Parts: sequence; C-alpha cells; structure tokens
Amino acid sequence: MGRKVELLAPAGSFECLQAAINAGADAVYFGVEQLNMRAKSVRSFVLADLEQISFLCKTHGLKCYITLNTVMYNHDIKLLQLILQAVKKHEIDAVIASDFAVINQCKLLNIPLHISTQANVSNIEAAAFFADSADLIVLARELTLSQVSDICKEIGRRQLKGLSGKPLKIEIFVHGALCMAVSGKCYLSLHAQNASANRGACTQECRHPYKVTDLETGRELVVDNEYIMSPKDLCTINILDQLVNSGASVFKIEGRSKGPDYVYAVTKCYREALDAVEAGTYSLEKVEQWMTELSAVYNRGFWEGYYLGNQLGAWTSKPGSVATEKKVYLGRGTKYYPKINVAEFLIETGSLKANDTLMITGAEIGAVKELVKTLTVNGVLAEKATKGDKITFKFPYKVSGKDRLYKLVANDG
Amino acid sequence: MAKLIQYREKCIGCGICEELQPEYWRMSMKDGKATLLHAANKKNILIRPIHQSDFETSTNVANACPVKIIQVR
Ligand code: SF4
Repeated sequence: MGRKVELLAPAGSFECLQAAINAGADAVYFGVEQLNMRAKSVRSFVLADLEQISFLCKTHGLKCYITLNTVMYNHDIKLLQLILQAVKKHEIDAVIASDFAVINQCKLLNIPLHISTQANVSNIEAAAFFADSADLIVLARELTLSQVSDICKEIGRRQLKGLSGKPLKIEIFVHGALCMAVSGKCYLSLHAQNASANRGACTQECRHPYKVTDLETGRELVVDNEYIMSPKDLCTINILDQLVNSGASVFKIEGRSKGPDYVYAVTKCYREALDAVEAGTYSLEKVEQWMTELSAVYNRGFWEGYYLGNQLGAWTSKPGSVATEKKVYLGRGTKYYPKINVAEFLIETGSLKANDTLMITGAEIGAVKELVKTLTVNGVLAEKATKGDKITFKFPYKVSGKDRLYKLVANDG
Repeated sequence: MAKLIQYREKCIGCGICEELQPEYWRMSMKDGKATLLHAANKKNILIRPIHQSDFETSTNVANACPVKIIQVR
C-alpha cells in the first residue's frame, strides 16, 4: 500500500543521506557542484557522487531528487548539461528547478521535473502553466493552508495532469528555516557583502541583530527585538493533520546545510507523526513529545509559518540556534568487533562519564544516539574517560575511522 | 612581487571576479567556474604574479568573492 503523503528529507552529505534513510524518509533531495542554493555549504556533493547517491536510494527504496535551482548564467549551461546527462544515466527520479533553461533541458532530455519554490507558484493558473513541463509544483512558502487546499482542489476539479500524464502533484514545506524574502529572492547578502544568495552564497545577514539609527541626530531607536529580519523556523507538527487534509502530497523538510543529527531527529518525528495521522492515532500528547524532540536539535524557535494566516511577526529572539541540546566533539572511531558488536573510540578531546548520552555520526550510520551505561576505558570498567583514552561499548552498527563521537549536553545558551 | 591566488575548487561561479577584473579572470564555459588567467595550476590552486598597479583592484576582487577563495599576497 502506497503512503498518502511522501516525506521528503534534505541530504547535504552521505551522513545526512543515511540519517534520512534510517529515520524513514520516503525521498531525499540534494544538490551537486555550484548550481544549487546551498553551494556555499561545506558539505556539498560533487558530480561523481551521483552514482552512489542513486544506488543508496534505490537499495533502500527511496526516491531521490536533485536541486538545480540557482540563477543560471551563460557560463553555467555546459555544466548544467553535464549534470543532466549524469542525472539521466543514474536515473535520479527528478530535477527540482525554477530557471527556464533547466526546465527546457529537462523536457528535451525527458527528465521528470519539479518546479522549485523559487518559482513562487502561488495560484492555480501558475500551477497550470507549469503542468506542461513538470509533474510536481513546490508551492510558495508564503501561502496559507486554505490557499494550499484551494489550489489542490482546483487541480482535482480541472483534472490537471503533469508532463508524465499523472495528476499534477503539490509539495509544501513542513519544517525548517524560513527566510524574510519572498520565496528566497533576497538581495541582502548582495548589498551587504557582495555575495549572491541566489547563487547559494547567502551570508545570513537577516540573522544578525540590528539597531535603527536616526542619521540626523545620531539617536539610536530602541527596537524591542533586535532580530527584526530573522524569522523563527517553520514547524507544523502540531497542525500536520490539517496539512495532510490540504491535498498536498509531498511534505518537505528544509535543511541541506544541517548535520545528520538534525536530519535524523526531524525526519523521525515527522515520519511518526504522518504515520499517526494515517492510523488515526495522532494526539496532543504525541505532539508534545515530538516538539520536545524537535527542540533538541538546531532551531531558532518555532512557529507554524503562514499556514494559519499569521503575520510574519514571529521573530527569533536570540542569535543562532535555541536547541535544548548541543553536541560536543569527543573523538573518532578506531575499531569494531563484529562478533561481539563492540565499538572502540579514541577520545581526542574533552571527557565523558558512564551514563552520558553519546551521538555517533558517519556516512554509513547517519546519526545514532546511544546511552552508554557501562563504560570500558582501555579495557577496564571505569567511571570516566579523558583525552587519549580508548573506550569500548556495545553498539549495533559497524564503526569506521571516519565516524565521529559526540557527547550530548544541555544547551544553556 | 605580489601574487594572486584562487582556490578554484570551491568557486560557485557567481562571476563577480570577471566583472571587476576582466583582464585577470574568465568564466569557464566548461565547468562554470572562474579561471585565473595565465596562472600556474597546482592541484586546482591557481597562482600568478600581479603588477603592483593591479594590487588594489585585486584586493577588491578578493573581498568581493562570496566564498572567499581569492587571496592577494
Ligand atoms: S568571485 Fe569567487 S566564487 Fe565568484 S566566480 Fe570569482 S572565484 Fe568564483
């Protein structure tokens, strides 16, 4: 039985991809090279990674979509063609784009296309326009829930089909960072630092605190919230049942520049919530539990976005994340004993005690939390381990030298 | 003599370097990244000497690069 709604998770690296798989995503999206909106992010994939990404997704039964959603210049066309050839060869399920060059090329090469939120589709006629070239439209993030469901209803009434001949699908954002600009069309980075956000080099100017100064008198106006341009993060887990009823069929989680712990925690919560909605067991208590889990990973505080018709007024009150937990780096994997399922790690910095909650991240394991009750340090039971120690504990996944070990601690800001 | 250095791999192809200093930079039609012209290439790090008179413009280019992969030394 197919699921009613597809849960789409971000994958900015192999670690995040594995985390999304482990957490139960139905599909992932990712970017390669510089033609994606997270080009500046350190974890960018390269063209040669496409094969492995496609293989992993197929093996685990996930769909995979590639974002090619920056502004495109003449000098990008060749690279674009190279990427699209590879997309075709490795059977990536769809391209997410808004530039007409990409839209056109996909049509020529017969590659399924999703219209990116950058295209700012906000009404049924715009959706109908793109139905000639795409199978799915990612709606503008600024719409209310009733606007979303009106568009979906109208698609049904008109029996609008996408290019493939199947009913046109609608995708919406359910969780993650929001941006003060309409559909990400922002020039702040360009003005302030000559960095083009529309080429994936957003410098996050809106996330800084600002003061307003009267240039004539030099008087500084007191703004009751200094973070006047930085919206809180979108979180819809408390209205997810309503979103499911809107008729949108793909739910997207934002965060290609976030780490595997974020991808895992957020995807897992939304997986459970969507399953609960489908099973009819979605409840307030569960929502509270999920909210606690979501608050533990990177976030700027939450609001339900524009879906309930709220004004963009929910500004964040602090710089950066207000996550209730943070991870502190301890060291890396050194050995794995598969017969007894024991992993060994070298502590390179800091210390840990028995009963600390640890997190292990890596390309093959994603991000896994582990409460270590009994700690073995350099072969003997101990209460504490510090720099230079080798620790071992039972762990169900194979650990390699690239895997990192962290300790999770409360974040007191 | 001053040197201009480009760590080419991380270039996002925004084109601002070519815009500001066309005599030194060219956007590659092959991979969409900027190429520092007449430069030695060591493992995708491009290096070339520059005239003293170009020092200021080069510094402006380095500051303008959104991913900070250009250096003047
Ligand atoms: S300014 Fe920097 S990122 Fe932009 S094209 Fe030149 S080298 Fe590349």
